[in-house]
Amino acid sequence: MNAPERSEAFDERDPALPNPLPRPAGEFEALKKAWEAPRGLSFITAVNNTYVGLWYVGTAFLFFILAGILSLIMRVQLATPESDFVGHDLYNQLFTMHGTVMMFLFAVPAVEAASVYLLPNMQAARDLPFPRLSAYAFWAYFVGGLVFFCTIFFGLAPNGGWFMYPPLTGAKYSPADNADWWLLGIGFIEISAIAGAIEIIVGVMKTRAVGMSLDKMPVYSWAMLVFAAMIVIGFPAIILGTLLLEMERAFDWPFFIAERGGDPLLWQHLFWFFGHPEVYIIFLPATGMVSMIVPAMAQTPLVGYRLVVLALVATGFLSFGLWVHHMFATGLPKMSLSFFSAASTAVAVPSGIQVFAWIATIASGRMKLTTPSLFIIGFLFIFTLGGLTGVMVAMAPFDWQAHDSYFVVAHLHYVLIGGMVFPLFAAFYYWVPVASKYALSERVGRWVFGLMFVGVNVTFLPMHITGLIGMPRRVYTYPVGMGWDALNLVSTIGSFMIAAGVALFIVDFARRFRIARDENAGNVWNASTLEWLPNANYNTRSIPIVASRDPLWDQPKLSQDVQDGRYYLPGTATGGRETLVTSPFDARPQYILQVPGPGWQPLLAALFTAAFFLLLTVKMVLLSATCGVLAVFCVIWWLWETDPGPVRPPADIGGGIAVPVYATGSMNHSWWAMIVLMVVTGMVFTCLIFSYLFLWLVNPAAWPPQGTLLPEGFSPFVSCTLYVVGAALIAYASRTLRGEDRRSPRAVPVLIAAALLCVGGAAAMDLWAHWRTGLSPSAHAYGAAVYAIVSLQIFFVLTTLIMGLYTIARWLAGRLDSVRRTTFDNMMLFWFYTTGQGLVALAVVYGFPRLTGGV
Amino acid sequence: MSGRRTGQVLLMLAGLIAWAVQFTVIYGVTSTLCGREWADVTLLGVGIVHAVVALATLAALIVAALSFLGSWRIHGGLGETAAAPDRFISQAGILISGLSLVVILWQGIPAFILPACA
Repeated sequence: MNAPERSEAFDERDPALPNPLPRPAGEFEALKKAWEAPRGLSFITAVNNTYVGLWYVGTAFLFFILAGILSLIMRVQLATPESDFVGHDLYNQLFTMHGTVMMFLFAVPAVEAASVYLLPNMQAARDLPFPRLSAYAFWAYFVGGLVFFCTIFFGLAPNGGWFMYPPLTGAKYSPADNADWWLLGIGFIEISAIAGAIEIIVGVMKTRAVGMSLDKMPVYSWAMLVFAAMIVIGFPAIILGTLLLEMERAFDWPFFIAERGGDPLLWQHLFWFFGHPEVYIIFLPATGMVSMIVPAMAQTPLVGYRLVVLALVATGFLSFGLWVHHMFATGLPKMSLSFFSAASTAVAVPSGIQVFAWIATIASGRMKLTTPSLFIIGFLFIFTLGGLTGVMVAMAPFDWQAHDSYFVVAHLHYVLIGGMVFPLFAAFYYWVPVASKYALSERVGRWVFGLMFVGVNVTFLPMHITGLIGMPRRVYTYPVGMGWDALNLVSTIGSFMIAAGVALFIVDFARRFRIARDENAGNVWNASTLEWLPNANYNTRSIPIVASRDPLWDQPKLSQDVQDGRYYLPGTATGGRETLVTSPFDARPQYILQVPGPGWQPLLAALFTAAFFLLLTVKMVLLSATCGVLAVFCVIWWLWETDPGPVRPPADIGGGIAVPVYATGSMNHSWWAMIVLMVVTGMVFTCLIFSYLFLWLVNPAAWPPQGTLLPEGFSPFVSCTLYVVGAALIAYASRTLRGEDRRSPRAVPVLIAAALLCVGGAAAMDLWAHWRTGLSPSAHAYGAAVYAIVSLQIFFVLTTLIMGLYTIARWLAGRLDSVRRTTFDNMMLFWFYTTGQGLVALAVVYGFPRLTGGV
Repeated sequence: MSGRRTGQVLLMLAGLIAWAVQFTVIYGVTSTLCGREWADVTLLGVGIVHAVVALATLAALIVAALSFLGSWRIHGGLGETAAAPDRFISQAGILISGLSLVVILWQGIPAFILPACA
């Protein structure tokens, strides 16, 4: 952004601030009281982002250390040839856990956690829109992750590699529970990641400072928006994949067993459709951090803001066209491979744009060589090297040579450590002063950087050569005389240098980090964005008007005025926790969101959810089911307190603006969350239909297999009609529930109940129709695919059932009327989704085999 | 979100959406035709696989070009008093569709070099 544009924007606004001084007595105290953290044991029921964010970051870092220790054990084993430090079975578990924990329990949660802490601060929101959802996501991850990690101590850890390829991980070759721990443990932690992503999307779109229109959003917010959108599109594939593989293992439904019409390549497609975007999912937030740190260090605005946003958006798209480059060695047609080669090289362009934008920013300012700067420079060096080897392996012929060798290990560590770990350390050094009373030590920081930077290169640079001269990845030892000995020893020495760097960081952190409740270390870098405003549990005293991308540089009195309560909403309008919802493009105030406070519900719901999945792993089905029911109960208990309705008339937030304290329809934050959730579920379903079509493709002349009876046309017709009638009843109920006068007509619960009967009948009819033909889910992949689609639909119908009954209960309790109707609206959205999915499912399952005539 | 804003976002992203559709079509069709051994069909003397890739690429290029021109015209028509988000979105639209044009073309190139199902 150039200077004239900035001042022009600044001059546009009214010089008078929204709220006069002095502020009324008791206003600030009421705000503080509303945001007070719970004390004593119930401290763990805190839900606001300052607490959950820090716990979340801390837990993610714990997993970084744990997974790092696993890698050190592996490096000791490989330091010398024919070593017997660990056996092959433990080694298999070690590399599987190292990859799995680093990717699923460290990288994604770490960037998500950082944003839980940073986003509201950066956008001057008081909290994220769904703090209890963040708390739920955190606790599910914390408990689930730790239990999952502990399997390594009992020899139960998964051992099929972090990408868990069948048939190795199928029931035949991995009969023990190890693989189930991965499938159920990681599968459900993904759900926690999706919960976080929904929170982030709604948070970025709806809770920004007034005036922080799209063009003034911090790059970090853009990065997190693209990141969350990518999770929403990419993670459903792995959730579906784990579901299918678990169903194959538990019930013998042969999705991946070639003898019965399945195909192991289907797993690879599902895994990598998630797995490659995953790399960018952890890289983009890191670039967002870099784009915030570089301008602060160079003391000049970011060069090429629009180009950086373009790069983020383009990366978000293009990264979904790369997944087959992990499958170059599987024998797919060359033209297909070339499409992925082309996309893989094309994605380097937006990454390059960002790198040049940072270099240009550094060049246009005067970069101070602080610890964050050093980590940024280290990032640029290491990531660029990883990017270059990435372009090399994007070429199929080169990849065939390097595939499954240490060259790939070197490449991926350069990309991930360079692209994510170094920016994260830069972020630690940079943002600790926001959360802590003291900044970290610059002197120690230089040592941390030096050890890590040299360590990474000493460890991984030689691995390129180790790989090119033939050492395969994932071998637990190697014979003398292959020429690999010295290189491996060097790598091991390097890995301990990294460990020393990390250990030094922990010491520094323990010495210097003290959680700041009121007085943080302050704006030590003279940075320009809102997280450096004076903050506490309620975040900023008042919610500022932002006139540029660098508000603290361009509005010099901003900190003082915000702190004095001269901007919007300097107190609390409803007496409870609130944040201001703004319009998604222009960031104009829309309404006051009544934010839920501390509570046991999300914590208990998370514990029971974790217990449900973990007990299922060890086949304690009854206990697991009990925990599942309890989890649903806790969620309902939690929801019961939400959707408060207009508890008071519109409130004056300052400057003569009065906004309502409740909103429904497309303005409502939970409406947005529901839409995003529907994209998630839609992606799960799309991946399932893709799997169905894929299995059709690999089964010429057996779709359905000979002798299979197709159900008659009568039953889908009935199901179809019931779905449509059910949806129509709900639409009619919605019409009945309209009006300004807060009516709650009696027809509403009756209509919902009738619609529930319809939708339940439709799904039951569908299941019965297939069952009656004698179709077996385990005889052939056809049956497995059909029953998978039917089962998924039944799951959605059951969820609709719970939501419908819950809505009826709200009506009975007098918590639902024509104005306070968000619960109904959300149920209605989900209902329409379930109906649409049901109709498509019927069309595919009944129509497709007839359309192709069994070809 | 108003209808106008939704339209703006769609126009801004049209180039990349066109790429996504092109990619899905060319990969899906190639895999299906080759997997089912239906690739011998010809369309006006051109093998069906190559014809589909060429047509999908052309269609995506047209969409991206229209999005580029559309964003360009909108940006040119914005007055001095235009809201900053409008200015930003049209500029982003120009950049995104410009990049998309290159990526879409690049994406279609393998079809001019390689045989269909080898």
